[in-house]
Amino acid sequence: MANSANSVAVGTKRVSRSAAVKKITIEIGRPIITIFIALLIGGVIILLMGEDPIFAYGMLFKGAFKGLGNIIATLQNTTPLLYTGLAVSLAFRSNVVNIGVEGQMLFGALAAGIVGYYVHLPWFLHLPLAIIAAGLAGALWAYIPAIMKAKLNVNEMVVCLMLNPIAQLITSYISSYPLKAPGPTNKTYDIMLTARLPQFSKSSQFNAGFFIALALLLIFWYVNNHTKKGYEWELIGQNPSFARYGGINVEKSIVEVFLVSGMIGGLAGAEQALGVYGAFYNGFSPGYGFDGIAVAMLAKFNPLAVSLSALLLGALNSGSIVMQMMTSVTRDLVKVLQAIIVLLLAADFTLEMFRKKRKADETLKKRPKTESEKL
Amino acid sequence: MNDILTLDLITTIIRISTPLAFAALGGLLTFKAGILNIAMDGFMLMAAFVGVGTAYFTGNLYISVVAAVLSSMILSALFGYFNLKFKANIFIAGTAIGILASGLTAVLLKGVFGQMGVFTAGKVLRFPQYNIPIIKDIPVLRELFSGYTILVYMAYILTPVVSFVLYRTKWGLRVRAVGESPDAAASLGINVFSIKMQTVILSGFFCGLAGAYLSLDYVSLFSRDMTGDRGLIALAAIFFAKGDPVRTVAVTLLFGTAQGLSVRMQLTAGVAPQIMQIIPYFVTMLALIIVGVQAKRKHFNIEATTAR
Repeated sequence: MANSANSVAVGTKRVSRSAAVKKITIEIGRPIITIFIALLIGGVIILLMGEDPIFAYGMLFKGAFKGLGNIIATLQNTTPLLYTGLAVSLAFRSNVVNIGVEGQMLFGALAAGIVGYYVHLPWFLHLPLAIIAAGLAGALWAYIPAIMKAKLNVNEMVVCLMLNPIAQLITSYISSYPLKAPGPTNKTYDIMLTARLPQFSKSSQFNAGFFIALALLLIFWYVNNHTKKGYEWELIGQNPSFARYGGINVEKSIVEVFLVSGMIGGLAGAEQALGVYGAFYNGFSPGYGFDGIAVAMLAKFNPLAVSLSALLLGALNSGSIVMQMMTSVTRDLVKVLQAIIVLLLAADFTLEMFRKKRKADETLKKRPKTESEKL
Repeated sequence: MNDILTLDLITTIIRISTPLAFAALGGLLTFKAGILNIAMDGFMLMAAFVGVGTAYFTGNLYISVVAAVLSSMILSALFGYFNLKFKANIFIAGTAIGILASGLTAVLLKGVFGQMGVFTAGKVLRFPQYNIPIIKDIPVLRELFSGYTILVYMAYILTPVVSFVLYRTKWGLRVRAVGESPDAAASLGINVFSIKMQTVILSGFFCGLAGAYLSLDYVSLFSRDMTGDRGLIALAAIFFAKGDPVRTVAVTLLFGTAQGLSVRMQLTAGVAPQIMQIIPYFVTMLALIIVGVQAKRKHFNIEATTAR
């Protein structure tokens, strides 16, 4: 096993420099072009509504980045996307299509809310315990599709699809009936101050969860690129039969990936409950779990790149508030942009459009040996 | 319990289940062709919006239904093209179409009609209610089967039609062949892409009717994200009934009952609405587990016999 890992790694290093540069340009180029096309289509929509796209986008940019207050608000909007983007990235990289991050986050937030109120401990124990509880809750909820895929070969996407509304309804029920705090809103009791993630500004709910997220990105970048586990997780995504041949227990790895992805989804809930709201509020998420799909796809499932793509969508979310105030274009435009980005990135344009051309090119000139042939 | 189970509850259930039945009919066509259509909520939402918008500008319900259906079919064609031609993962493309419809309708709601949450089409237009001859004179049957609008009748009349088309026509045979084994179908000269695309656009047609029914008949308004996971519930019904049209529509009636009861039981018995609302997803999960276990057992049996 270790042997095959080494030989593949050597193979990648042998790719010539110009090819590497070309590869990087394509890797970065496509997301940038995609964002540009999305903004262009969004601009046409703004134009059709009788507004000036440049003014509207200008307001969006100002709202996201002008002044310290706006920048901090942008970072606050970015934080949940760092978690959900990482959760989706880890899963998709292994071809485990965890579209259940939304549900995992809801259970994480609820667990954090429960431990944060009902347990009484000094802060250095209480806060970590609440965070761990959230991670565990997310992982447990992710265990359902994991075990169904691994043991029964049931499509994990269908399971996640059904589990999301189930999670939403269960958490909604718990926060509206048995554990509801008195008052008009459906929420749990306020979390003890000993379990709160520290906030850094008076004007926003920007909190320490941001830095935990950054640390997680670094950790999983390291795991992905420098550990055997990370290599196995990548291999089961790229070529499950090769992975199996190489001695990897694919079913076990799928469960592992699901658990880790679900745990991070749960931590996203912890950040929201312990850092932003201070309780579990029914319906607090505007769909961060689904936003994670766009974040992950823009980042090409690379944990470090998740920081940039989460920042981009976080800035759009945050800046769109100002755009909505100054123009008749509502914040929902960001949803449209996001959907276009995901559609364009999910599509494999080269396959259809350039297949013929590429084939012709390949037969004309002698192509250099591919990685697999070198092995 | 007496005040819960009344005749007018059954009328409510039939009306509540109509959009589910429409969507399920569309969804099962794609299901039979091997496509899991999770974009149905998006199709419906778009149709609901275009329906109300057209009614506002034209004042004609039937033109509005046609416009709604067309908008839904265009969106479904986009979905089909991205999935089938550009090989986008169906779940990702479907989620994206859902978000696109949700965002676009909300943006246009403000941009075109200046509303943030809810929009009514000026003076409220209503579909006439039809009474079926003979049945309208028989007491209980009258309440159960008579006095609905044309769209309600359409949903339940189209059910056997879809069943007939799927199981008794050449086209239906091709759809099922494509769904069961695309490679084998292709080797027989069936254009797999074109058959799949046809089912996706037909699902757009049915979801268009569902959306038009929601915003022009069931209620006379458009509100943000008004489909409320109905597409997902329809998909759950398809899974639960394994895609048989008549059974699927019967299951949508069951799921519609759960929805209808969720409001009533909260008012009369104080039962939390979430408990009833969770039923469609919950029983579908159970069905998935049972099917998975059965398949696994069958697999083991085959392995055992071949080993011998």
